Amino acid sequence: MLFKRKKRTADIDRKGVSELVRALGKDRVLTEIEDRLCYSYDGTKQKAVPDIVIRPGTTSDVAATLKIANRHGIPVCSRGAGTGLSGGAVPLQGGIILDLKGMNRILSICPEDFTATVEPGVVTKYLQDEVAKYGLFYPPDPSSAAFSTVGGNVAECAGGITGLKYGVTRDYILALEIVLSDGSVIHTGRKTRRSVTGYDLTRLFVGSEGTLGIFTKITVKLIPEPEKIETLAAFFSERDDAIDAADLVIENSILPRTLEFMDHMSISAVRGYGGITLDEGVKALLLIDIDGTGENIKHDLPIVESACRKKNALKVKVAETGKERNAIWSVRRSISPALYTIASHKLNEDVCVPRSKIKELLQKIDTINEKQEIFVANFGHIGDGNIHVNIMYSDEPGQEEIAESVVQRVMEEVVELGGTISGEHGIGNRKSQFMELEISPQELSIMKKFKDFFDPKGIMNPGKLFPSSL
Amino acid sequence: MTTYERQKFEVFSGLKGSRLLMSDDWKEEVSKCSKCGKCHTVCPVFLETHDESSVARGRISLAEALLDQQIVYTEKLRDYVYSCKKCMRCRKVCPSDVDYEKIISALLHGVAENMGIPLLPKIIFRYILPRRILFDILLKVSSRVQRFMPMKKRGQMRHLPLLFMGKRWIPTLARKSALQKFRKTKKIKNPRMRVGFFTGCLINYIYVDVAEAVVEVLNRMNIEVVVPQRQLCCGTPSSTMGDVKSTKRLAEENRKVFESLELDAIVSACATCTKAIKNDYLRILGPSWKQMSDKIYDISEFIDTFIGDIPGVKPLEEKVTYHDPCHLLWVRNISEEPRSVLKKSSRFVEMDMADACCGGGGIFTIIHYDLTLKMLERKVNSIEKSGAATVATNCPGCVMQIADGLASRNSTIKTTHSIKILQEALRKSEART
Repeated sequence: MLFKRKKRTADIDRKGVSELVRALGKDRVLTEIEDRLCYSYDGTKQKAVPDIVIRPGTTSDVAATLKIANRHGIPVCSRGAGTGLSGGAVPLQGGIILDLKGMNRILSICPEDFTATVEPGVVTKYLQDEVAKYGLFYPPDPSSAAFSTVGGNVAECAGGITGLKYGVTRDYILALEIVLSDGSVIHTGRKTRRSVTGYDLTRLFVGSEGTLGIFTKITVKLIPEPEKIETLAAFFSERDDAIDAADLVIENSILPRTLEFMDHMSISAVRGYGGITLDEGVKALLLIDIDGTGENIKHDLPIVESACRKKNALKVKVAETGKERNAIWSVRRSISPALYTIASHKLNEDVCVPRSKIKELLQKIDTINEKQEIFVANFGHIGDGNIHVNIMYSDEPGQEEIAESVVQRVMEEVVELGGTISGEHGIGNRKSQFMELEISPQELSIMKKFKDFFDPKGIMNPGKLFPSSL
Repeated sequence: MTTYERQKFEVFSGLKGSRLLMSDDWKEEVSKCSKCGKCHTVCPVFLETHDESSVARGRISLAEALLDQQIVYTEKLRDYVYSCKKCMRCRKVCPSDVDYEKIISALLHGVAENMGIPLLPKIIFRYILPRRILFDILLKVSSRVQRFMPMKKRGQMRHLPLLFMGKRWIPTLARKSALQKFRKTKKIKNPRMRVGFFTGCLINYIYVDVAEAVVEVLNRMNIEVVVPQRQLCCGTPSSTMGDVKSTKRLAEENRKVFESLELDAIVSACATCTKAIKNDYLRILGPSWKQMSDKIYDISEFIDTFIGDIPGVKPLEEKVTYHDPCHLLWVRNISEEPRSVLKKSSRFVEMDMADACCGGGGIFTIIHYDLTLKMLERKVNSIEKSGAATVATNCPGCVMQIADGLASRNSTIKTTHSIKILQEALRKSEART
């Protein structure tokens, strides 16, 4: 070897660690500070350093970990790729972080049953690509699909751009293998496309954010891959026109694969980012993908185009080549980073309102930010009513407080309009304070009872989902 | 309910007082990282380990912890810093445009300053690399010694005296270096351009045939090629071990050499050297290097830009595929140019994942040999699947790595530099006419 090594003792030597090492082997139990720091954050940029990092390889590793953790009362926070946007994977109270990225095998793909079974650490895009080889399609498509894991997507019930037509992660989970807080293993659901036997525990666990159990095997539902996709971009000078056009498309009984919206602020952030030219006059943008057979598309595309034109689109551009399609989508994908050119901090809220209330929601946001003390950019999945409200603020004193008060008021308005405070990112710790806006005390207490039943010692991802008062 | 007691953060007492060093510009880059995790998608090391400590986001967090004085430089930290291949592919996909190279260079420098550089590399960087004559003598002795090494295979042999990597097939050292071969510049009547050739160590001492190809091809295109005799190593080996001082010294010497000549352009056939002298020197030597930097080209880039349609060339019958060297593709965005030249000189076939790292490169291959092999295996699989008879690339480091992988599988596929394909095509076309 190139270097001589000094022997170093582990940072922490406490109850549980030696038991974990005995049960899992020392390669799977990391306690040195450098490792712990590498598992201390997620996509929210929050940071809390765990005391132990566990990298399990099998279900029994996970079970052994939870058994020991439960006995000693050590908090356990599970983590896929750590890309979440609500703080779900940040080990707020220390303890164990369970890194499931190493459990990343596709266990089976059954084209005849239209199902696939995977371990939680499989990257979503990898699953999509592998099933596509059989002409199959796994639709949930969060923007992070290329690097987030299926396990993480299930835990947060991730959404994505195909939600309007194909639904979200929840709609594709058939069965789960789950390790409970005491280390016992249960199997919920069946590998069948329908099952009404008993309560739907699978659905209870999807979106439970690691507070009820840890998924070790996930069976997903697949559908046939659509034959063809066409992409269209429509440019508007008025925000309301774009919203009306989106409505008109759906009123014409066309359900696009994706129906994305960008407002004036989002557009000005990506102007000049390449992809497509965005003139100064463009104040709103719709990006529409339609899919199906060649015949379907031949029928649908002109209707979508004319709907946009009828609602005063300045220009409608249909991508003619794959390259053009990518160029159009690259504009959408560059919003998030481009927003940082406006200000250095971002609060990215993923609120969702009934589709009919979108116009109203955006007007309310304008009113909240009437004095324009802060920049707010809105874009997202207009087809589902899931709008990303991005509140941008700088380091200047007072800005953070203004940003937070804007978030608070946006949340209130959303709930008032019959919407929800999280359409796809989950609650984590970032939104737990708003839970009571949307969920009644009675419902919250039912949820808490579930939590206490599955996790009597409260070791599963503490500090998440429930408001701190509970 | 049990309340769990949190472990307190402790700085290791024995290692207090690490120096953080350097300019502030990297600190700003650290804070730019939005922790989105997109670097996971492209990092060749992460693809093998799935470990957060082996990807940019993890190392940036470690840099952040250093700045916050939560940790100090330790062996573990050094391992994680050294596990970066510096391919800079993550830089390319980063949505927040974090200049990761600044951060990793600062970390490497910090490791070197706080933990030292092992003796052997230190001697090489500080005393041998800056002295061309001493370097020549040592390599000449090595080339004599290696003749007595057992086990040879198609110009490759087991062991290189310095590395003791028993399993590898490594090319033999040339008896006469490229610099010695091209002491005199071949004069061209009314040359269309006069270019300098930066050979780099691998081409100078091992792949002398690549240097010959560069000079021959350019001469055939009516271009005069100057091979400055006093040029030194580009400095990449020392910079990858954080030896900023040695790197700077090499950069300054090379600046003197190339600025003293009146050249229309400088070409290099090594992706890493090109990156170093074109991009890294801007950071090391400052903006005054800009004028020279603009004149530096990869050999294929140069040919495609200035020659375009190569006069008199007929493509070879041979099927050739191309491997993208990381430093050419991810740092310089060069991918079309080498392919364009290869298409004109052979039957070009594309391979799957041509842009995947071959695993070669510097100390990474020594420290993480197991990971290197995994990357190499993927690469060799793609090459074999492509159906090509030859794999060409624009980096002698990649040539060495891929040749090793193919040799250990007893494959008949040849590995070469793409300029050699053009050389052969030109020679054959001439013979036919």
